Amino acid sequence: MSALGHYLEEEGVATVAISLIRPQTEKTRPPRALWVPFALGRPFGPPGDPAFQRRVVLAALRLLEREAGPVIIEDFPDDDPREPADPAWRPPPLPALPADGTPAALAARLETEIPLLAEAHRRWIAEHGRTSVGLSNLPMPELGRYIGDFLCGREPRSRRVGFSPILLLRFAADDLKAYYLEAGAAGLAKPSSKQLGDWLWNSTSAGAALIALRETLLASDNDRTKLIAGNFFVPGLYLPNTARPGTIGANSMGPWQPGQ
Amino acid sequence: MVRLVDLPPAQAQRLAAFECPNFTTEPWVSGPPLSRRRVAIVSSAGLLVRGGTPFRGRDPDYHTIPADTRSADVLISHVSINFDRTGFQEDWNVVFPLDRLNELAAEGVIGSVADTHYSFMGAAEPDLIEPHARELAGQLKRDRVDAVLLAPV
Repeated sequence: MSALGHYLEEEGVATVAISLIRPQTEKTRPPRALWVPFALGRPFGPPGDPAFQRRVVLAALRLLEREAGPVIIEDFPDDDPREPADPAWRPPPLPALPADGTPAALAARLETEIPLLAEAHRRWIAEHGRTSVGLSNLPMPELGRYIGDFLCGREPRSRRVGFSPILLLRFAADDLKAYYLEAGAAGLAKPSSKQLGDWLWNSTSAGAALIALRETLLASDNDRTKLIAGNFFVPGLYLPNTARPGTIGANSMGPWQPGQ
Repeated sequence: MVRLVDLPPAQAQRLAAFECPNFTTEPWVSGPPLSRRRVAIVSSAGLLVRGGTPFRGRDPDYHTIPADTRSADVLISHVSINFDRTGFQEDWNVVFPLDRLNELAAEGVIGSVADTHYSFMGAAEPDLIEPHARELAGQLKRDRVDAVLLAPV
């Protein structure tokens, strides 16, 4: 982000950057930056809080009126009020995870579980007017079968032109997670990101299936399959202890070339 | 929060040690007061308009997001899965504060909002992004943008 500011400013366009990781901004030294004490993924703070977001946006834009640069790096003073857990939140009711964790059982369970969240997901869309599901273009029941096929050792054909089966699987996994996290947050309570993540990864068949899928595909002979499985399914925070790498972070991924 | 002292040590160490470009120049462009500025958002969240092709890896180019795009039609396709997405799922302004910019323009706090906004995918290599960023500068100037809000994720 700071590099973008440098390039654009060199071309004559004034910029101000939001900084989420202050040491990186201090190294890159963009013309102007506002460091914010928010979680990665929330550069403008809490969802559903226009007044707070406005303060962040304005604090950043006001740096454009300063004369004392370069370089200006300032700190936003307030934490994200939506970061703490909401004790009133309850996840949608789902059957307990079965003891049978075989790939076939997990795949079947995933297909059964997805429709159980359909009503909650419809409620989410009605409440927020949007959904982040849509990268794979797979409708939800078919998406579950597509992931389940990989889990059971089959490689289904890609349903999207220009996307290999494994690349489409990556976007199907993103869509599956978005569907669950949105369904889980439907209603009046305001669960934290951690509450929703804990529920998805510890209590649902989707979480169990993606963790198992990662392990299955990491045993593949195909380096690209292993790369996608290792980096794009399960956040580092929720990897089983035996699979957790020494480092995790927003940029923790193996080598990846453009166009793959 | 991303105060590094609050993160698991391994993650904090990696984020702090992340290799960053070492620029030898410090460019600086000044301009008129905010009330006369035309503002565009340039995100690095891997955003795209629904129906478009997601960022497939560390693609160094950018997607355009017209200012009249509905929030329901903006998706996120950043390659990293290690950041919160629930905020964006609930409210796109968490990542792409276009509603806030439109409000500030309506109140006269900023001059106007650009016709088009942009998104890169932030895990792309900076030196591969560079030609696309310099080309984007031309687009911004043609849209008379003189203030860019750079939004990471």
